[in-house]
Amino acid sequence: MVFNSYIFIAFFIVVLILHNLPFSWKVKKINLLIASYIFYAAWNPPFILLLWLSTVVDYFVGRALYHQNNIHKRKLLLVVSLFGNLGMLCFFKYGNFALDNFVALTNSLGINFHPARPSIILPAGISFYTFTTLCYTIDMYKKKSEPVKKFLDFALFVTFFPHLVAGPIVRPPQLVPQFENPHKATRKQFMEGLFLLSLGLFMKVVLADSMLSASANAVFNSTDKLPALDAWIGVLAFSGQIFFDFAGYSTCAIGVASCLGFVLPQNFLYPYAAVGFSDFWRRWHITLSAWLRDYLYIPLGGNRNGKFRTYINLMITMLLGGLWHGANWTFVVWGGLHGFYLWVEKAIADVRKDQVRPIATTPSEQVGILGAVPETFKPKTFRNFILAICTFFLINVTWVFFRSSTFSKAGDLLRSMFGLVKDATPLLPTLSIYKIVIIITTMLIAHWLMRNRKVTELAYRLPWWLTGIAWSAMLVMLILSQESSSSFIYFQF
Amino acid sequence: MPNRTLAKPAILALFIVITIIGAWEIHLRNQGDQISYDDGGPLWSNNRAMVYEPADKSTVFLGSSRMKYDLDIATWEKITRKHAIQLAAEGTSPLPVLEDLAGDPKFKGKVVMDVMEPLLFSGGAVGIPERIEGFIKYYHNQTPAQLASFQVNHLLESQLVFLDKDFLSLSAKMDEWMIPDRPGIMPNMLFPLDFSLTMFDRQMFMTPRFVADTNLQKQVQNIWATMLAGAQKAPPPKEDPLPGVLERIKKAVDLIRSRGGEVVFIRPPSSGPFRDGENHGFPRAIFYDRLLSYTQCKGYHYMDDPVTNHFICLEWSHLKPVDAVIYTKELTSILPESYTH
Repeated sequence: MVFNSYIFIAFFIVVLILHNLPFSWKVKKINLLIASYIFYAAWNPPFILLLWLSTVVDYFVGRALYHQNNIHKRKLLLVVSLFGNLGMLCFFKYGNFALDNFVALTNSLGINFHPARPSIILPAGISFYTFTTLCYTIDMYKKKSEPVKKFLDFALFVTFFPHLVAGPIVRPPQLVPQFENPHKATRKQFMEGLFLLSLGLFMKVVLADSMLSASANAVFNSTDKLPALDAWIGVLAFSGQIFFDFAGYSTCAIGVASCLGFVLPQNFLYPYAAVGFSDFWRRWHITLSAWLRDYLYIPLGGNRNGKFRTYINLMITMLLGGLWHGANWTFVVWGGLHGFYLWVEKAIADVRKDQVRPIATTPSEQVGILGAVPETFKPKTFRNFILAICTFFLINVTWVFFRSSTFSKAGDLLRSMFGLVKDATPLLPTLSIYKIVIIITTMLIAHWLMRNRKVTELAYRLPWWLTGIAWSAMLVMLILSQESSSSFIYFQF
Repeated sequence: MPNRTLAKPAILALFIVITIIGAWEIHLRNQGDQISYDDGGPLWSNNRAMVYEPADKSTVFLGSSRMKYDLDIATWEKITRKHAIQLAAEGTSPLPVLEDLAGDPKFKGKVVMDVMEPLLFSGGAVGIPERIEGFIKYYHNQTPAQLASFQVNHLLESQLVFLDKDFLSLSAKMDEWMIPDRPGIMPNMLFPLDFSLTMFDRQMFMTPRFVADTNLQKQVQNIWATMLAGAQKAPPPKEDPLPGVLERIKKAVDLIRSRGGEVVFIRPPSSGPFRDGENHGFPRAIFYDRLLSYTQCKGYHYMDDPVTNHFICLEWSHLKPVDAVIYTKELTSILPESYTH
């Protein structure tokens, strides 16, 4: 079930009614759990078994890990959990990719090996809920937090429908305590939730689907040589589409949870206002970058083993982060390019001896791989604005690899972007170019102006009638765009 | 502002939304606009799921837009008392659907397939093949959530005129701005709303306003003229697609027949430059007649029938509703008895 469908609205109304009836807290939690399973089963019912398996195994392995003192048994239990979770992820997500690469390798060695390609369907959200459950067992292994006392709370933590299929990736301490005591939305929370749900749907349905996706698809699927204008407009359209699509989903998820009285972590913080790439990763898919930092970068050694190892750890983290997004080498290169940008940025910071504060002391949870934003990047100065535009330019180059299905297509598009093709054929209508330029420019200005604020703060700060008019404009465009039920891009990851 | 809530803005927003959407709906109804359904993958899939009905109680229709306009479903069902399952799609070859049905061991029914030569015999080089391929893929991958959403969509679309994605959505209204494009850009094909309305059974029809208004007809003719001019400029295919297409059709027909099913072909009317272009580019003896002899199927060409050979298509390619009724009646009298009795 997707948030941008009529059936979700009907489903959500039923869930809200049940959650506000005078049932016991346990019954309400069971209602939420059943609703979450229905939400998930609405894609492909058999895959619910995987979700159950992951939930049951990690609940009991997590408890055993916490209480077990024998180091060998603890390691064995951790291996069981890692094997179960990552094995499932590897099979469903990377099975065909691994087979294709193995076949390519054997063929390049002159061995004629052509096995049948198995038909593997990727279960929705497997990358997200695998990371959710993995962090629990790893935390239990490290005894970073207490095991979840009740199975019902753990099952709801894993399955809670707002975050289940595309995040935000939640940690047990962020959500489980909210299930331990009765939660019902206050009027303020409920209204904020509806506002965020409207905003998220507006971003997804109106901006991503109705205004940007057609042009992005046309450019990235084109087999013709494109002029620089069309290539750039297509890439800019995708940079907007992926942001509005994914940030729209996260905003909906946070809004839906808020309507039920729960708080989910923020996942986006105006990423295109980022000054540099460490800042970008503090603002883009925040819960993933925090996960990669805590469960990959730091266990690899982080910055504790000298500068050389820091650079290597950083690149490994970004390469694997790229691969997490999809089973294609183009995603790995996308991650590698971000790793390279972070290298350059870190090298400059090392030369300038910029002071980077420890992550834990960051006040607004703006966490990322490299720690807090250097103080010099924080003010909204003209210099930082120019740096943010440069960052956005370089991020657009990375999106070419992220969106292109092959390196050949990515290469063609990059050549077009930098004017290296002759006899190019224009592709995009003038109207599409106008729409994209207006939306992307507005988005960049809004990100810059809002970079240190929350959208709900703005909603309160504006006169109530102006907030009402803006809200109604979003809803009217949402209804008139008539783009329902299209899938979110990050579902495929 | 800890004590403030967004209740006041929410109430204002709700009021404005209801006022604007309500006014828009009333305005559309006052200017005579009618209910039309979004003819995308969900509606097509809804019909595709019906092909398993008993063969003596239903007929499946494949083809391009001509089948959707020219077959009057109400007339067909009234005369034959058999359910007409419309699976044709605008601007597409019906071959992928025929192959899909042939590859489905549960399908044992009767098929009527229209022959619109440029679409059928070009091997996917003409039209929008990705449209029908998308429909087939959607049907086979449809989730329970999509099925449920379709039911809710149907409920809303059956009541609200403004829910017409092709003509009344935000993007469609913006396309009407007609901003000049750079040279070399394929012009946007802006069909008038009155030309293409779709009912829930996927019957397409043109409104009385379109039938009466020669300006609207001219607008569509200009689109066809642009397409025909483009087709004339296109380089010839490197390889003749005809043998491959015939082989694919025969293979699919044989598979359907092997399970007790039947396939017949019809060639619906066309007029003016469209008919001239089709006759010139796809001579009947080489294409249509060869299709019938190669597949050993029966075919019904509109030019062979005195009732249908004089039809004039207002915009060169599709019958107006009154003629569609006559054409459908004639089909019920000339198609094999197994289809009509």
